[in-house]
Amino acid sequence: MSQDEAQTTASDVTISELLGAVKGFLMDSALPALSGRDQFNARVAANVLGIIDREQQLGPELAALDAAAAQQWLPGDPGVGTAPQQLARALAAREIDANSHFFGYLKQRQLLVTAINNPRYASRKVAEDKWRDDS
Amino acid sequence: MSPDQLTALLNTELGESLAGKVPGEQVTQLERLSGGANNETWRLMWGSTQLILRRRPFSADSIDQLEGNILGLSLVDEAAVIQLATSTSVPVPEIHAVFDATHPIGEAFLMGFIAGESIPHKWLVDDTYEVARSRLAFQCGEALGRIHSIDCSKLPPNIGPTTLEKRFAAAQKRLHAFGDISPVMQFGLNWLIDHAPSEASCVLLHGDFRTGNLLVDGQGLAGVLDWELTHQGPAAEDLGYLCANVWRFGQLHKPVGGFGEYDDLIAGYNSAAGWAPDLVTIRYWEIFAALSWGLVCQTMGALWHSGNGDVERAAVARRRSEAELDILLLIEEWELA
Repeated sequence: MSQDEAQTTASDVTISELLGAVKGFLMDSALPALSGRDQFNARVAANVLGIIDREQQLGPELAALDAAAAQQWLPGDPGVGTAPQQLARALAAREIDANSHFFGYLKQRQLLVTAINNPRYASRKVAEDKWRDDS
Repeated sequence: MSPDQLTALLNTELGESLAGKVPGEQVTQLERLSGGANNETWRLMWGSTQLILRRRPFSADSIDQLEGNILGLSLVDEAAVIQLATSTSVPVPEIHAVFDATHPIGEAFLMGFIAGESIPHKWLVDDTYEVARSRLAFQCGEALGRIHSIDCSKLPPNIGPTTLEKRFAAAQKRLHAFGDISPVMQFGLNWLIDHAPSEASCVLLHGDFRTGNLLVDGQGLAGVLDWELTHQGPAAEDLGYLCANVWRFGQLHKPVGGFGEYDDLIAGYNSAAGWAPDLVTIRYWEIFAALSWGLVCQTMGALWHSGNGDVERAAVARRRSEAELDILLLIEEWELA
């Protein structure tokens, strides 16, 4: 269940819908009334709302993937910090064998992270076509 | 600083600085241009001459200074390098005035305006620039060959030679400083260390020679902008940087900046320098460029957290994920090649 679905039970207007409403205000009302740097930033702000929306949808899946990876490559180590931090630090210390299986985890992770931050990034389409069946 | 405040300060200053160089009496039409998450760029008229002001809106001392130059040179040093580049035939703007960080205007320099299109989404696709695009990869190679021929002994002392070992150490230090939040960035750095080419001699690199920093007109390359990341390093670095996925603006099938082919870039470089880096080394530096872009994104996030910058800078921090994706794609391509 995504965070958005959890929220739906408590409200008539979901987080996604609220974000969509604010995005509509920024793009349709605020942006035409602004100029120069402020207009540019209004567009950036609208894009940021998209990131927030996608993160609340996909964040739980990403967290689960990272937790499973930490369990697999750092077994028995309760660790300090988040799962990605523990993995990054173990890599820095060369304590993880970065074999093709680990590389596969990184690829799946990155498809999710870019789906949140910039699903339209050109390389993402290439990566998705190559990696979709890797998991 | 508001446009009115900046106009008043410039009016006080420029009469003397521009006397005998650019006719005029006061600043009009001061306007901040979009883009530029690090330095501000302003356009203004002085008399009937259009000028560009580059200004750093914060003091470099206001944030922790990490080893290396990801934040870029001081604008004073950047102006000095641009002035050096005018001795080559690389198209660069004329520097009219330089202000250091103690000046009321802030750290800044004023330069001439070069006509040309700076927005890649226009010149990469518009038919008007078809001839320009066909020439541009060769011209970029040529320009880089010329920049790399600049005598490093004339550079400001802050732009010294470095080694790959130091670059790796600086990158690792940054990843730690940013909280080790990315396993992909760390994986990329490990890979770059394990596959490092043998050390090459240092030349002056532009350091940020990419599609978004070129001015293009109907004939091709009209200007090379944004010298704030200038540093010394191996020649292949600048070529690989120009070819990095992130700077291809979606035109992935055109490896040189989204507009050209490797062979033309290398031929152009060879024509100016009498030699050229090999493609394998250039591709190594594409992966290095992806890691560097990821680090820049993280730096933008750190700057924003320290209270410097607007929503754009906060958003750029999220673009680290693009760099991470490219790191994995490029390493996979390399391993399969």
